[in-house]
Amino acid sequence: MPRERYRDHSGNLYAEVDAYHLVENLEQCLQCGKCSGICPVASLSPSYNPRQIINDVLSGCTSRWLGSEEIWRCFWCAGCYTLCPVDIHFPLLMMQLRYLSVASRHGLKYIAPFKRFALRAREDGLTFAPGSAKGRERIMGIRRTIGLTPWPEVSEKAREEYRALFDRTGTTEFLDGIREEEDHPLELAYLKGRITGD
Amino acid sequence: MEAALRIAQAGFHSVLVEKEAELGGTLRSLHSSFPRWQDPRELIDHQSERLAKSRRVTIRTQSAVTSSLPKEKGFRVSLTSLRNGDTEELDVDAVVLATGFEPMDVSVYGEYGYGIYPGVTTSLEFEGQLRKWALSTGDITTEIPQAVALIQCVGSRDRSKGNPYCSKICCMFTAKQAGLIMDLFPDARVYVFYMDYRAAGKQYEEFVRQVIEEKHVRYVRGRPAKVLPENGRLLVRAEDTLMGIPVEVAVDIVVLASALVPHPATRLLAEMFGARTDEYGFLEGEPHEPARTADRVFFAGGCGFAVESAAALDQGASAAANVIALFNEDR
Amino acid sequence: MTKPRVVRPEEKFLALPANVFLFRSCTGSLEYPGTENAVRETLANLGIQALMDPDQTCCSGYLLTCSAHKPEVSLAITARNLSIVERKDLDTYTFCNGCYGYLSELSHIMMHNPAYLKMANDLIEDWGYRFEGKTKIYHVQEMWYRLRKTIGEKVLRPLAGLKVGVHYGCHYLAKQYGILDDGGFPTFHEEIVEILGGTPVFYKERQLCCGYAVGRGFTHREEIVQPHLFKKLTSAREAGVELITTVCPGCNVALDREQPHLNKRYGAAFHIPVIDLSQLIALAMGVPLQKLGFDANTIPLAGVLKKLGL
Repeated sequence: MPRERYRDHSGNLYAEVDAYHLVENLEQCLQCGKCSGICPVASLSPSYNPRQIINDVLSGCTSRWLGSEEIWRCFWCAGCYTLCPVDIHFPLLMMQLRYLSVASRHGLKYIAPFKRFALRAREDGLTFAPGSAKGRERIMGIRRTIGLTPWPEVSEKAREEYRALFDRTGTTEFLDGIREEEDHPLELAYLKGRITGD
Repeated sequence: MEAALRIAQAGFHSVLVEKEAELGGTLRSLHSSFPRWQDPRELIDHQSERLAKSRRVTIRTQSAVTSSLPKEKGFRVSLTSLRNGDTEELDVDAVVLATGFEPMDVSVYGEYGYGIYPGVTTSLEFEGQLRKWALSTGDITTEIPQAVALIQCVGSRDRSKGNPYCSKICCMFTAKQAGLIMDLFPDARVYVFYMDYRAAGKQYEEFVRQVIEEKHVRYVRGRPAKVLPENGRLLVRAEDTLMGIPVEVAVDIVVLASALVPHPATRLLAEMFGARTDEYGFLEGEPHEPARTADRVFFAGGCGFAVESAAALDQGASAAANVIALFNEDR
Repeated sequence: MTKPRVVRPEEKFLALPANVFLFRSCTGSLEYPGTENAVRETLANLGIQALMDPDQTCCSGYLLTCSAHKPEVSLAITARNLSIVERKDLDTYTFCNGCYGYLSELSHIMMHNPAYLKMANDLIEDWGYRFEGKTKIYHVQEMWYRLRKTIGEKVLRPLAGLKVGVHYGCHYLAKQYGILDDGGFPTFHEEIVEILGGTPVFYKERQLCCGYAVGRGFTHREEIVQPHLFKKLTSAREAGVELITTVCPGCNVALDREQPHLNKRYGAAFHIPVIDLSQLIALAMGVPLQKLGFDANTIPLAGVLKKLGL
């Protein structure tokens, strides 16, 4: 395997990975490993490692992760953020890495399942309302028994405005544009040349 | 003690005010030292002997300075006995503060279980346990640990729950404690969880390497995420960052290297004497005059920042030199 | 050490409110409507009136973190929802860790980034909304802890030493600052369980995330979420936990609904019912069973209810 070359960010590190200005303190990372130590995903699959991701981002090797399958495993449990001695908000970094990944058409298959949920939520003003009649019946049955309105009350106004916000922010367009066929293959990059016993 | 002795040697008189019943501060609680594995009591005894012989040092144990009024060249201080509440007034021409440091309260680290699981202790408390083991006559039959984890940087290098600074000496005394455990219990497994080990001093690196290579202590690079109880033992969950693999190690005792913070008395005394403290409560020196913290007020040792005993000795001598110079100028 | 991390409940609630805005949780109102009811009933029992508003929409946080949409729309949705509450001059109470986490984080971002606040308000102003950051965001678990003594005095059905394994979930404790306990070793739910007459069990994986996990239950279910849940539930079972409590309908879904699938995959025979802490409190305070909606639960409550003589 050839030696890695570090890229020179020339001060553009945060502009690249933190367009939303949510994680501005990556250089405070001490590489202590508390995040990876608590990470439930890392304990199940060591090729996912939040500490290493931060290190790579700082060295300019972000692209390795953008084409990786690993970044789609994070649970957003924020155990990393809770324990981090310098309060790096790793989940918000992960969120942005995922957007970058989607922008380069990697990882689409991991957001494709949510396209239909999101478009339905856009209509309902509620998320995860079941699509099937049977599902809706079940819920209405339980709600009636316990003395609530058969369906959670979401006003027509609420739904209109919710829809409009999706449209105004370009979210509807973004969702419509998710086409799983365009997905580029993902890599389990860190398993190459790495001994992992099972 | 060093400051008082040097000042006395130069022909001036000093009053040594100590709130405990014995002199020596933290040093009294320590068992062995780095980098030469010497007994700290020898240093205390050495100083105490010299003090006993000196005719220019008045020792007031179990006493505290409770107020101070500045006067033309010095202060009028009130000394209160903590035994019976008696006070006396003293006129002094200079002050040396040497109130030392103490370990931070690490119960804020719920993830390490201090105060929750009995096997979790702090470095200073563990020092007492080591001494107990070392001094016990006959075989130690109870509570022999099969494995011990020492965790560095608990409260240091932590901007979130602790102090951002590095407490400087913990890497060294942790190595010392790890080595001592192996000396006492050669069959034990000892792990030191570190981020960086800081061994910047004469013979320091050799000391830590000796602990690793000759005493067979295992150093794991990774700040533990959690300590969990299981089957009567303690599990330390961390990442071995050099391998990039999460690990779980079963131990019987967890020793937390607590951050070293100034003794609370330091701030009160600083206010009394017009001395400056930094944002952590440590005394601040002045530009180009590191031992001086206010007009006619000097300091030495842990109250300025965490420091090892040899350096504290040096700083004591430095404070003394300042006082002596000042008194010579006064004449 | 700068901002205070753990605050006392009396500091969080300087005065006890007569009226609060109860933020509807999508998962809560759909999957476990009994939780919504339990929250309302318990608040009423404590002299607090809960108002809801049909104009409130989903907090949109879940799909945000699934990367199904970008932050801009969630910031605007948050601003819109919270301005509805602000018009009523009330504080916002959630009963879902997810809603709590997203509302807190997104409103925090807007309050500290004037550009984002402006963007959000610009998007909603033609409907007459304006978010100012005045409404405080709470989770009902905080109120339960604040009023735990009162709750204790009103217990009608003590829990007979029932072994309860608490599940805190992630997004309340992840806030770190200005909350009721520290994420390192929280104990405030266990205190409530004790007050209700239950026996809290500190099982080894007590603090493990539920794995509901921003969509990983859809994309990585067999790969990661199931082995993960297997660890958690095994730990609970080995410690003798008879009932698991949650403060997030999302966690409830993961821990409750996945058990039969785990049993099939691992031959595990898990049978630990999972309910919301609010439902447990309501149960102990004598709220009629039919109002608590346990029919919605995958793992039936029959065994636990029998133990409590119900």
